[in-house]
Amino acid sequence: MKPRLFPTVLLTALVLALTLSSRALPKTAQEAGSSAKSGQDAAGSAKETVPFPQVPRITAEEVERLAKDDGNVVFVDTDDPEAYAAEHIKGAVNVAYDPTVDAREQDQLLSALPGDKLIVFYCNCAHEEDSAPMVLEMWELGYDRAKVKALKGGLTRWEQLSYPLVGTDVDAAHEKGAK
Amino acid sequence: MSRWAKQIQMQCKIPAIGVASSNIVHYATGYVQKYQTGMPIRYVSVPFPFTGQPRTVDVGYVTGKDMLTGQPMMTAVANALTSPLTAEEKISGAAPEEAVEPRLLPPDSEENLRALFEDREWTDFNSIILPTEKRVTAMLKGTSHKPDEVITTINITGGARQLTVEKVAISAVMAGASPEHFPVILALATQAPFGNSTSSMANMVVISGPIRNKLKFNCGTNAMGPYNRSNAVVGRTFTLMSKTAGDLRNNVNAWETLGNTMQYNNQCYGENEEALPEGWDPLHVEMGFKPTDNVLSVGMGWSSIASVGASQSIYPTHYLMRDYMSSFCASGSAATIVIDPTVAGLLKDVHGFKTKAQLSEWFSQNVTKVNASYWGNGVIQSTAVPFALQGLEPYATWRKLPDDALIKPFTNPKAIHVVVAGGKVQTMWFVTDFGIRRGVSIDHWM
Repeated sequence: MKPRLFPTVLLTALVLALTLSSRALPKTAQEAGSSAKSGQDAAGSAKETVPFPQVPRITAEEVERLAKDDGNVVFVDTDDPEAYAAEHIKGAVNVAYDPTVDAREQDQLLSALPGDKLIVFYCNCAHEEDSAPMVLEMWELGYDRAKVKALKGGLTRWEQLSYPLVGTDVDAAHEKGAK
Repeated sequence: MSRWAKQIQMQCKIPAIGVASSNIVHYATGYVQKYQTGMPIRYVSVPFPFTGQPRTVDVGYVTGKDMLTGQPMMTAVANALTSPLTAEEKISGAAPEEAVEPRLLPPDSEENLRALFEDREWTDFNSIILPTEKRVTAMLKGTSHKPDEVITTINITGGARQLTVEKVAISAVMAGASPEHFPVILALATQAPFGNSTSSMANMVVISGPIRNKLKFNCGTNAMGPYNRSNAVVGRTFTLMSKTAGDLRNNVNAWETLGNTMQYNNQCYGENEEALPEGWDPLHVEMGFKPTDNVLSVGMGWSSIASVGASQSIYPTHYLMRDYMSSFCASGSAATIVIDPTVAGLLKDVHGFKTKAQLSEWFSQNVTKVNASYWGNGVIQSTAVPFALQGLEPYATWRKLPDDALIKPFTNPKAIHVVVAGGKVQTMWFVTDFGIRRGVSIDHWM
C-alpha cells in the first residue's frame, strides 16, 4: 500500500486577501500618498508635500504659448465626464482618472493618444494628484518621457489666467453675461 | 454600467436602470447585489450581440421581451423604474467581507489537494507542483526581498488584493520554477494580472540582458516553442499568478469568448541579442536600459501572422510584413515584429535598415488600411471614437473620410517594436499586434 502524502500547503496566493479593504490606488499612488502624509507628520505642520515629484510639470503659461505657436499639444482632462462636459480646456480630450477601473482597459484608451505630440494631463486638483499618475502610466506604455507632462496647478491655474475654456458651464456663464 | 446608473440616480435624482446584454447580465446583477448594497441598480436584458446587427434586429430587442423577466421590454423598464424596493434591495451598508481562508491548508492527500486546486481554479489545468511550505520557503531564497513586500495591488471585482513576494513564490513553485528564476518572475509580477478581456487577448514576455544566458532562456531555434524550461516556467507563472491573485475564473469573472492558447505560456522567450546585426540595439537598450541590465518586457495583443515560407527576392520581406500588418486593428499603433536573425540581416544588408528604429518608422509611414476597416474594429470603436468625437487628430479627420479612403493607422513608430529571435534555420518572421510596455528591471528583484 502506498503511503499517503500529507503536504502542508501554503495558500496565501490563493486566498488572495479577499478583505474588501481600500479601493486601491495604483501602487505608485499609494506610495505617493503615504510619503506625503509622513512628510507632514515629520514636519509637524501643514506643509504640503508635492505628490509624484518625479513627474515633470509644465506651467500654464508655457503650455499655452506652445499650443499657440505650433498647436502640437494635446490636453487630457482627467476629471470625470460630467466635470469635463461642464468645463475643460479648449481642445482637451477626456480620460477620467479612476484607480478602481481595470488598468488594461484604461491603457487601451491611453495608448490611442498620439506619440508625436506633447501630451499634457491636467486635473481639477491642487497638486496634480490625479493627472500625475496618468503621466506615470503613459511612461509605462512606452511614451517618450519628455513628451508627457502634468499641468502645474491644473484647471484652477488655467482659469486664473483666463485662458480659453469650453463646456456647458462656460456657455451658461456667457449666456448669463449676455443678458 | 452600474456606476453610471448610480451616478444618474444620485446626481440627477432620476431613477435609472441598466440595459445589459444577455451574455453579461447575470454578472452585472450579481455584482450589484453583492457590492452595491444601499443603492440597488436594476437591469433589463437584451439578446447578444447587438453590435453588427441590422437596425431592425435592434429595434426588435426594444419591441420584444426582457430576457430577465420575460415581460415586454418597455413594461419591464417601467416596472424596474417604479416598483417598490424589495427586502433584499433595502439592505444597506458595506458588502460583507468574504471569508478569508487560512494561510496554510490543512494536511491532506496529494490527490485531494490537487482536486481542491482544480475546483477553485487555482491552476491552468496542467499538472502543478503543490506549493508546500518547504518548497515556498526555498523559492523565497531566490530574492533578497521580504516575503510580505507588496509588489502591486490588483483591482478585482468589488475590491483589491495585494500581490506579495510570498504569493508570487507560491505561483512560481506551482509552475515548476527554481529559485534562480524567482527575480525574473518577481519582475513579471509587477505586470500582473495579464491582459484579459472578452476580446480574448494574450500576452508576450521578452527577456533581455545577460540573464538570458545565465538562466539558459531560449533565444535561438524554437525560441517561441515548447523546448526550454526557463521559457516554459516563467511564462506559465504569469498565468498562474494572474489567475489566482487576479481572481480569474471561467464564466465568473473571466469572460474571454474564445480564450487564447497563448495564455498558457504567454509567449515567453529571450531576444537573440548575440545575433543582432551591427547597429540594431536590443529591445531593452532601445527602451533606455544599459546592455548589461537584465530586463523583462510584457506585451499585450491578440494576433500573430507568420511569413510561413522563406523570403523571396521578388517581393522584399518588409513589403510582405507591411501587407500583413494592414490586417491588424492598429490599436495604439501597437505592433511587435519578431524576426529570425537571417531576416534581420537581409533587412539591414539588402534593404538598408541600419537600425530597428528606421524599420519601425518605415512601417509607420507605409502600412495603410481602408478607412472603414479601421473603424469597423470594436477595440477602435471604444478607444479612438471618443477621441474623434472630441476633436483629436488624426481620428477626427479619419472619421470624416470616405469608407474606401486609405489611412496610415500606425501613427506612432515608437509603438512598433522589433525583436530578433530564432536559430537562423529559416528566413522566418511573425508580425504581431502586441503592444509592448516599458521594460521592468529584473536586477531590482535579485
